[in-house]
Amino acid sequence: MSMAPLIQTDVGTVQRSSAHMLLRDPLLWLIIAVVVIGALTSPYYLTPLNIANTLRNTAAIGLLSLGMTSVLLTGRIDLSVAATMVFSVIVGVVVTVEIGALLGERWLVRGNSFAGPPGLVIMITILTGITVGVLNGIGVAYLKVASFIMTLVTLTALRGLNYILTNGHPYYLRGSTFDWIGDSVYFGVPTGFLIFISTLLVLLFFVTRTVAGGRFYAIGGNEVATLYTGIKTNRYVVLAFGISGACSALAGVVLTSRLKSVDAPLGSGYELTAIAIAVIGGVSLAGGVGSPLRAMLASVLFAATLNLLGIWGVSTWYQNLTIGLALIIAVGISSIRRRIIEQ
Amino acid sequence: MSVAEEKFARRPVKSAASIEFWHRHVNSISLLGILILLLVAGRIISPSFLSAENLKVILLAVVGTSIIAFGMTMVVISGEIDLSVAGVAVLSSVVGAMFLDTGSAVLVVSVTLFVGLILGFLNGLLVVAIGIPSLIATLAMLGVARALANITSSGKAFYPDDIEGYLWLGRGDVLGVPVPILILIVTALLSIVLTQFTVFGRKLYATGGNVSAARLSGIRIWRVKIAVFTICGIAAALGGILESARLSYINPAAFPGMELRVLAVTVLGGAALAGGSGTIVGTVLASMIIGVINSLLNQMGVSIYLQQVVTALIILAVVLPGLRHRQVAK
Repeated sequence: MSMAPLIQTDVGTVQRSSAHMLLRDPLLWLIIAVVVIGALTSPYYLTPLNIANTLRNTAAIGLLSLGMTSVLLTGRIDLSVAATMVFSVIVGVVVTVEIGALLGERWLVRGNSFAGPPGLVIMITILTGITVGVLNGIGVAYLKVASFIMTLVTLTALRGLNYILTNGHPYYLRGSTFDWIGDSVYFGVPTGFLIFISTLLVLLFFVTRTVAGGRFYAIGGNEVATLYTGIKTNRYVVLAFGISGACSALAGVVLTSRLKSVDAPLGSGYELTAIAIAVIGGVSLAGGVGSPLRAMLASVLFAATLNLLGIWGVSTWYQNLTIGLALIIAVGISSIRRRIIEQ
Repeated sequence: MSVAEEKFARRPVKSAASIEFWHRHVNSISLLGILILLLVAGRIISPSFLSAENLKVILLAVVGTSIIAFGMTMVVISGEIDLSVAGVAVLSSVVGAMFLDTGSAVLVVSVTLFVGLILGFLNGLLVVAIGIPSLIATLAMLGVARALANITSSGKAFYPDDIEGYLWLGRGDVLGVPVPILILIVTALLSIVLTQFTVFGRKLYATGGNVSAARLSGIRIWRVKIAVFTICGIAAALGGILESARLSYINPAAFPGMELRVLAVTVLGGAALAGGSGTIVGTVLASMIIGVINSLLNQMGVSIYLQQVVTALIILAVVLPGLRHRQVAK
């Protein structure tokens, strides 16, 4: 595989975050530049509604990219994030409806609307996400299937299952909890974004302040050395995929709460977005380098830019084009820089 | 060099080559066994399964995937991967469709193939010249090509109904053999010759087997890699043409998930993702196996989405034994 010639990163280049480093981060300045351009070119860009919308968009893709980051840190890749995201929510709804049927309740009412307890749906959704992630992890770590094949298989299987479970019809989600996650705003900040930031803080604490998190970097930096140190690397790889699954499920909760519906083809191609964000956020595809904090900044930058393009009336297809090109340029620059450093 | 010496010098080389040949094709023999078993199973389930008509249907259904898989197999042998094939197939078909008004099938087909060539070449450049991992470069290319296909066509489909030459590629026949199947046979033979019996083929296996050794023995790795990506681009465009011609429908949203089906066939055919192994014969057999399985599932009334799940599980079952892939755990 092309990813085999890994760049040898210094083991333990754990990037500690600080306000000082944040201020020097080019991503932050890029975000400010986009916001300034947006404010100058459109009177709507800085309205509270648009800011809230941008942050809502950030939340879903940001959560996906956090999961992607945790997997990329260990030197693997997770292509199944978007499929897992949708699958988890669909399983959440379907299983809850089945539980309702067992209890003699009818939670799937007319027009495929779900009117059961949202709490149960969300719980099952997250459990499903973690399960899918852990299965991916077991396949990759213990059964030694290449991670992109394993997750490509999961991606296809789950997309197929999504259609089977929904019969191709969308489920509409009703309930105050969904409204709360999707619509409510605290001081201009939507709940979904708060969920994203909380997840970010937990993940940030995990990778920078705990031993287990540090081992993600160690595995990504030099897996063989880490293994010979006596660390059971396989467990941490499973853990990384589990985190990715959980983040995908959370992204699903945030996204579907906002749309008030879930259907099988939702979020097609979001895996590309998640990879692009992680890479723009400085996460190395070879593993061992990157910070969830910068992935967060990259997701804000991404959402702010796409929002601006939307306001300018640029069609979605140009937006998709931008995502692809941004990915090529970001990875291209980092690999050219690496070559220069190596010389 | 005396005759005796020459004999002595040549013999070990020859036998090494033939051992290598058998080693490479062992997998194909087991695939052939599986294929025969499946055909027998099909015959038991339905007496008409082995009829010429049904076999023709099975083959026609896998033509596009197989041809693209020949390109993919070469890319995988070289140690890279190409996830952009569906995007390349769609974009090249759509750009070709811009020339439908001219009424010239030759023009449409050559433009399509040319666009495929360019896109494949670009993939190669991204991987070789800039050094982007092929997984990412081609994933991005997939997104870009799909977006461009929709932008250039404004999301509208094209119907090449008036161009008989174009439709002939998908629906015509020569002496009772459908044209797509003929094209499949020709491309398979070309690919087999290219990979097994040419200098390029040797360089290809050498590159995938051990990049450093290949480089040190004077193979220009970048040339080999750009060549395989370009071939894969052309194969994707050709696959796109045949599918579009068969359906008489050029759709900018066509072939969703094609990359996985192609990859499935390639991996099932015995190409390890670490590079250096895999054969076109294996890929041919694997695509037949997938075709027969899909046909069986169809006859049993299994939905297309469940077939998708089954295909995914088959790939998993193939890669799970894992020994071949152990070295690419990443």
